[in-house]
Amino acid sequence: MADTNTIVGETILVKGNLQGDEDLTVQGRIEGSLSLTRTLIIEQGGIVKADVSVNNAVVSGVMVGNLTATDSVELSETGRMVGDIHAPRVIVVEGALFKGKVDMGNLETPRQASTQGVDHKRPSFAPQRPASRPHKAPSAPAAPAKKAAAPAKKTVTVTKKAGSRSKKKVVVKRKRR
Amino acid sequence: MANVIGSSVVIDGEISGDEDLVIQGTVKGKITLKESLFVEGSGVVEADIVTRNVEVSGSVTGNINASDKVELKTDGRMVGDIKAPRILIADGATFKGNVDMDR
Amino acid sequence: MAAEPPGVIGKGIAIRGNLSGGGDLIIEGTVEGQISLKNHLTIEETGVVRADIEAERLTIRGEMSGNITATERVAVLANAKVVGDIKAPIVIIEDGAGFKGGIEMDVPLPDGLI
Repeated sequence: MADTNTIVGETILVKGNLQGDEDLTVQGRIEGSLSLTRTLIIEQGGIVKADVSVNNAVVSGVMVGNLTATDSVELSETGRMVGDIHAPRVIVVEGALFKGKVDMGNLETPRQASTQGVDHKRPSFAPQRPASRPHKAPSAPAAPAKKAAAPAKKTVTVTKKAGSRSKKKVVVKRKRR
Repeated sequence: MANVIGSSVVIDGEISGDEDLVIQGTVKGKITLKESLFVEGSGVVEADIVTRNVEVSGSVTGNINASDKVELKTDGRMVGDIKAPRILIADGATFKGNVDMDR
Repeated sequence: MAAEPPGVIGKGIAIRGNLSGGGDLIIEGTVEGQISLKNHLTIEETGVVRADIEAERLTIRGEMSGNITATERVAVLANAKVVGDIKAPIVIIEDGAGFKGGIEMDVPLPDGLI
């Protein structure tokens, strides 16, 4: 399955409950609750104020809320987080700022740094999106190829930040299977 | 690598182990070692000591029970009782206490 | 006086009590109680520390349970197991480290976020 990736661009504000089975990159702002079976990337400048449940998360922006990941959480050098983290692997890189609890589960289970190919499960797309130019929608259009009549699973209110030129895209796409 | 309690360290409590220990700082409490204790010039020990050997160049206040030997070196100062089969007190050391060399 | 070499508490040594001082210290043995150091404390892989710790810097490769307050930084390296709260301006957790507890750094956030 192609690794599709949804991008919430920097002038987008999403308020509500968001769910999906693909990677999500946040350059704008999400408030509410977020649930993905794949990877959440909050880029520098991105803000997520929500309780989040994902496979992996890489926080290079701001995260306020509790973050639960089944695989790993990385707070990178520009990451700023307030909230609790529940994940078997947690990496706090020098420069990250964090306040909250960390729970890696049972510390007796032997854990090793991931040495196989993928260190973090970053989505495989190459992030070449220019910082503030309109970008095209991600390969979303191709997505519908698989579908399924999944009932709308989320209630999202997409609001443009006041004063911003409306050139956004993203959006949260609904998932299919 | 020898165990060293540096000169600016203060330990208040009990130390035990099966390695040599060098004290350059301050220890109050109790020391129980299987091997040797070296109290260096800057070391200050206020503790009862049970060990194999003790070499004192600093200050010890407390009782020493050594299975092998106790040596008070030239600048060593001790107040307390010593029980050990062999004892050496160098010229210049000061000592006040009882000595028991019965095996 | 030149900085003295770090103190060492080797693998075969156990200390129960309070430890304080101004030098660097490397712990390979066991310490239970309270530690208050002005400089750098390293808990090596074989070190087991159950104590509240105050220090300038802390590097942990072994096991530690207790609360940590550091004035400069705390690094929890791979294979370390730490349970307790950490309060320091910089906290680093390496991939492979095990940690359970709170972390408190100063986190500047955009206005109105919390």
